[in-house]
Amino acid sequence: MIDNNFDRRDFLKVLGWGGAAVALSGCGNTSVEDGKETVVSYVEVAEYVAPGISVYFNSTCAQCDAGCSISGRVREGRVLKLEGNPDSVINRGKMCGLGQAGVQHHYNPDRVREPLLRSGDKGEAITWDKAYTLIAEKLNGVSGDQIDFLTGSISGHTKALLGNYLESLSSKNHFVYEAVSPAVQRAANMKSYGMEMPRFSINKAKVVLSFGADFLGAWVSPVHFSQQYAEFRKGVDGKRGVLVQVESKMTLTGANADRWLAVRPGTEGILAMGIINALGVAGLSMPSNVQEAAKPYDKERVSKDTGVTTESIVKLAAILKERTPSLVLLGSAAEGYAHGSQNAAAINLLNQVLGNVGKTLEASAAVPFPQIAPTMGNTAALRMVNNRLADGQTKVLFTYATNPVFTSPAELKFKENMAKANFRVAFAHYLDETALQADLVLPLDSALEDWGTLVAEYQPEGVQISVQQPLMEKLHPETRGMGDILLALIKQRQPDAYKSFDDYYAYLRTAMLKNKSEFANSGMDDDVFWNGVLSSGIINVGGNLNKLNSKPDSSIKLPAPAEQDAKYPFTLIPSVTANLRDGRHANQPWLQESPDPLTTIVWDSWVEIHPKKAAELGIVEGDIIAVESKNGAINAQAYLFPGIHPDAVSIPLGRGHEAMGRYAKGYGVNPFQILDRVFDEETGELAMHETKVKLSKVGKRVIVVKDEGFAGGAQHGKKIAMTKSSDQVDLSEEV
Amino acid sequence: MKDINEDIAWAKINKDVLRSLESPRKLYWVIVFCALAAFSIAVGCEVYQYNIGMGVSNLNNPHVWGLYIATFIFWIGMSHSGTLLSAILHLMHADWRKPIYRFAEAMTTFSLMTAGLFVMVHLGRLWQFYYSLPYPNDRGLWPNFQSPLLWDAMAIFTYLSSSILFLFVGMIPDLAICRDNIHSGWRKKLYTVLALGWEGTDRQWRNFRVTYLTIACFLIPLAVSVHSIVASDFAMSQQPGWHVTSFPPYFVAGALYSGCAAIITLFIILRYVFKFEEYMTLPILKKTVRLTFAIAMVWTYLNAVEFASVWYSHDVASKEVLIQKATGPYALAWWGMIFCGSIVPLILAFKRFQTNIPVLLVTSLLLNLGMWLERWMIVAPTFSHGYYPWTWDHDQWPSWVQWGMVFGSFGWFTLLFMVFCKVFPSVSMYEVKEMVYHRSLASKKLEVSGAQESVEGAH
Amino acid sequence: MSVSNLLENWAEFRHTHPVNDVPHDPYKWAMSIDLDACTGCNACSVACYAENNIPVVGRDKFQHGQVMHWMRIERYWPEDGRDFPDQGATFLPMMCQQCEAAPCETVCPVGATNHTADGLNSQAYNRCVGSRYCSANCPFKVRYFNWYDYPTTENVWPAEMTQQLNPDITLRSKGVMEKCTFCVQRIRAGERAVKNEGRILRDGEVQTACQQVCPSGAITFGNLVDPESKVHQKWKAQRVELNADEQEKDKEEGGTDLRGYRILEELRPYPSVMYMERVRESAI
Repeated sequence: MIDNNFDRRDFLKVLGWGGAAVALSGCGNTSVEDGKETVVSYVEVAEYVAPGISVYFNSTCAQCDAGCSISGRVREGRVLKLEGNPDSVINRGKMCGLGQAGVQHHYNPDRVREPLLRSGDKGEAITWDKAYTLIAEKLNGVSGDQIDFLTGSISGHTKALLGNYLESLSSKNHFVYEAVSPAVQRAANMKSYGMEMPRFSINKAKVVLSFGADFLGAWVSPVHFSQQYAEFRKGVDGKRGVLVQVESKMTLTGANADRWLAVRPGTEGILAMGIINALGVAGLSMPSNVQEAAKPYDKERVSKDTGVTTESIVKLAAILKERTPSLVLLGSAAEGYAHGSQNAAAINLLNQVLGNVGKTLEASAAVPFPQIAPTMGNTAALRMVNNRLADGQTKVLFTYATNPVFTSPAELKFKENMAKANFRVAFAHYLDETALQADLVLPLDSALEDWGTLVAEYQPEGVQISVQQPLMEKLHPETRGMGDILLALIKQRQPDAYKSFDDYYAYLRTAMLKNKSEFANSGMDDDVFWNGVLSSGIINVGGNLNKLNSKPDSSIKLPAPAEQDAKYPFTLIPSVTANLRDGRHANQPWLQESPDPLTTIVWDSWVEIHPKKAAELGIVEGDIIAVESKNGAINAQAYLFPGIHPDAVSIPLGRGHEAMGRYAKGYGVNPFQILDRVFDEETGELAMHETKVKLSKVGKRVIVVKDEGFAGGAQHGKKIAMTKSSDQVDLSEEV
Repeated sequence: MKDINEDIAWAKINKDVLRSLESPRKLYWVIVFCALAAFSIAVGCEVYQYNIGMGVSNLNNPHVWGLYIATFIFWIGMSHSGTLLSAILHLMHADWRKPIYRFAEAMTTFSLMTAGLFVMVHLGRLWQFYYSLPYPNDRGLWPNFQSPLLWDAMAIFTYLSSSILFLFVGMIPDLAICRDNIHSGWRKKLYTVLALGWEGTDRQWRNFRVTYLTIACFLIPLAVSVHSIVASDFAMSQQPGWHVTSFPPYFVAGALYSGCAAIITLFIILRYVFKFEEYMTLPILKKTVRLTFAIAMVWTYLNAVEFASVWYSHDVASKEVLIQKATGPYALAWWGMIFCGSIVPLILAFKRFQTNIPVLLVTSLLLNLGMWLERWMIVAPTFSHGYYPWTWDHDQWPSWVQWGMVFGSFGWFTLLFMVFCKVFPSVSMYEVKEMVYHRSLASKKLEVSGAQESVEGAH
Repeated sequence: MSVSNLLENWAEFRHTHPVNDVPHDPYKWAMSIDLDACTGCNACSVACYAENNIPVVGRDKFQHGQVMHWMRIERYWPEDGRDFPDQGATFLPMMCQQCEAAPCETVCPVGATNHTADGLNSQAYNRCVGSRYCSANCPFKVRYFNWYDYPTTENVWPAEMTQQLNPDITLRSKGVMEKCTFCVQRIRAGERAVKNEGRILRDGEVQTACQQVCPSGAITFGNLVDPESKVHQKWKAQRVELNADEQEKDKEEGGTDLRGYRILEELRPYPSVMYMERVRESAI
């Protein structure tokens, strides 16, 4: 706990450097005398350091945008491990594996350490002054509408500063892009409920029916939902919650379901309507227009279209009717298809029919400060930027927290179009594919070295502003925080603006103090308040609830299931795994070595095929398969996976890097490249599951590198991982 | 078949055997060179493994033991040949052992030394192997006496020192002969020192006989216990396929088996190279062959006992391991073991083949191959298919590092043996003289009492 | 070298548990893992890597089966012969079960693995000579051997990554066996801290890395002989006893409607980890 006057930066500076020096010299098999000049005596120790005793500082995890608050264990000036911050309403002291790997993002040996002037394959290290001068030079004479900023999802004061910088450039071209984003869901939620991201209470539901929402894995806020899930399983009124997952390829959440329903790709909406129909048949009362709309979806037709048995539909309707409240979640059913928005509407309608709105689906709070409220990315932004680049409308391109050269479908030709800009600047931690295409790469402080605020999109309780503070002095002297860089750039354009702020820290502190009254007692001492903020790592504001405006939409038009293309008979489902996501963490070795929970494969990509289909095609595990779409082919090892629809194959996203360091480069293949350009009709979002592919054996076979052994997932009669049916277990006596 | 000539002059015996100690011919150097080359491969592999780590052997989790342990057991097994011939047959007064027991005993000693190498090579931190010895230390630490591996260490150490003692003591009269017949150079000095002043007096002979007998009596239970202890490395563990009570006798039988087969091999080679046809006669070979056959049948029986006990125990895990051995990734090696260990020795039942040198040479090598495969088949399948299905690993095979060391160990053994053959008499001269003397006495008695037949079949 | 030392300690050596005459006092560390709450996310496994300086072996060595994860997540499919695993999978976190009658402890030739008074299976890295008998005898195969010298292997801890290493736990060189220790470094640090206050640890004061990170709270760790601890209450509610090789409840007619069990209990290692069966809804 920090609650006195002191200069944290100085102490960290002294200690971090000393600590790091000691550590470095200790590890290099060098003599005891080496580096003695930088050793800090432990006799004259700095404040708040007892050698051998850890101090915990709170900050925010930046590995995904859930905004979990973390507590970093710091010893002798270096951060060792991250734990969850118990006070955060988002993660309540827990973390996920991705978050744990945050230290590997920070200590990564392949971080960019200096500003690089790039030409072709070569990069020349230059000073920051030179870099800033170059930027000023290149911006000279360029009008605002020719300057584009492509970033990932962004929130907090960095977003505010970025807005200010764009203003100073007279540019309105801030494009927020996320390769994997629930953009269709947001639009659908807006239409159905009146807000993009309502609050879900899985722990209050008796039945959760998820249409591809991998809430235990990579959907929205997995650490938060996992905790809700644990409560859900303990049950409301002692009755254990039931999870039903509907999807074409099993996700982590699907593996935890009581019933996993394999559905023909794209027909999730039809199933939802079928369930509404069955609910009507079972006697659930619903508005007549809804009943009318559901009439054509009788169980025989739905079963034929989706592949789900009529028995399952009836059972599902029965349990949903009986056990209320329930909760219907929307996931890949929305993001996957050209009719994704229609799927989403049908699925949201199911929630409304079941009366869950207001019970397990409630209004979220609005962020009181719009400049720091999150702007979430989507894939339509990429298309816009790409078109502008292709047309030559963009002269200067800035990229931050995004890697479009890796994540864009090859068909978009983003790399070639990016080359058309005159000047490209990448704010980056690593030399990833996009940074390699930039003219100027500016190295960033890692998330554990930087100041900032982050406001997560998903807010479970009020609004929580997560605060980010450095957990140690920066490792590489020539990296800079994004906030500091933006300040410097703004000052370039408007020397008087922000004159009073030496650095981003000062700006942040002042900005927070300005709104002190919103967060705390306005009479509180400034320093006490600020130090309190830093030590807790979070600020909770009440926030006014958005208005929940539930509008059941019965005018749903779902297309019939698509005919199988003779040339490209399989649907490619690029899967999003919790640890790899869109590939930005592929250079963190713990994540590469952490087995995929469902296949246990490590360090490589694979193509999942249903065993029956594989038998038909004569494919065995390890066969290298060429997966070819209209736009290209990638080769991956086959893995026989029972949790996938036989008409689909799945390749994980996130591997297949050609750059980004020693742990990412050369491992696996990148399915982003071969995606077909199919877009959701309503939102224009890239439809992720609409790529059709054909498979052919390349003729090579490899041994699949995975954790499971010869027995695969079988126990051979041994009582190792046991399961019990719910009617044979008594959970009431449990602790 | 011609057995040893009862009339043979003792001086001739001396001359024939001492001739083997003369300057070696070219063939000798060729063999030594090959042995050295093989051994240096092993050394190279070990240096590589020592520097990089055990991982280069392709061992992994769960396959933590591999060819090092298998070959270690194999070499320990081979060492039982000498004890069998020297000690057991001595107690049984089987005099046909006399011409051949010397090299068999040498084989024992060198096998043990080779086995010891494998223990070292198998350890992850072999530079700290001495932790397993009760050496004085500040922490009051003793090794773990509950561990079968430690019993191994103690037993083998005892066995090795006893074998060396036995070999040495048994050689004393012969060393005296060498001392008296070789008159110059370093050899003279060596034999003089080692002969311990042997004069062949009555008293010395009496002391000698008592000592020899005592060590023999001591050595037999030791040999049985050594291999039983090695067996308990497996039998005392819980793993399916290992936790079998018949393992100690099974291992001892297997040891005697491979020892006998090795004796046949070396018998044939030495006989040819040193022209010992006079002493290493075909009747002796025949008896050895028959002994081998008997032991082969005992081993086959004990193998069948293991299968039967797995069947009637209804222990699912053990059954699965056995079925895996026969049908899984190691099936080829396992059936090879059955073939070499139980089918091939049937040849030895036929009189026609019992003295057919080429057939016996090939057969004895096959028998030993079978025994080596047996050791491997004890070690590996249990790891590939143990109690815990998640860790079943049917794809682990030893790397060239392991094979190199196995191969090289034969080079080391051969090297030691080659040196022995040229420095020490590989036929026991005084024992052959005894044998000839007793036989001539017996046949003279028969002559005197009127019987006419040759003494050949009487033994 | 004290023979009297040997003889005196021999009497206590490998005596005690699971024989009930010497009860654990004041600590017996145990765990309970709820398979119904475990989602298979692997956070525990990654946290363990972070806390215990476990090396990343890389793709080639992983292929050879030489991975070092002390905590591994196993994934089992239902074996009902159906086309789809329509009841999902069962995830099982498996790590050293800290067996009271550990098969690994008796067979180490140099005595590098032993049982502590507080019920942990200890591994002394500096005593281990790498005979690997312990791993050979482990029924769960949860012991991991250092097949290479990872601290000096390229790209395992390059450059700045060495700064992430936890100084409370040693780096293991090649030839040494390692395994889950229930984060013994945290336990010892906790014990030292409360010793100054003259008391013993309370439930929740020491958390293992896996327990601390688990988002669904599937892992419960604590002192089994402390009646206030969650793990004690869970074991009690599930009627699983540490020193039994077959639980009373399993002998009852009609089976049991409780879901606590231990793995490979019939081999009598007396593991200190209880698992709670995953439940699947019968109505759907």
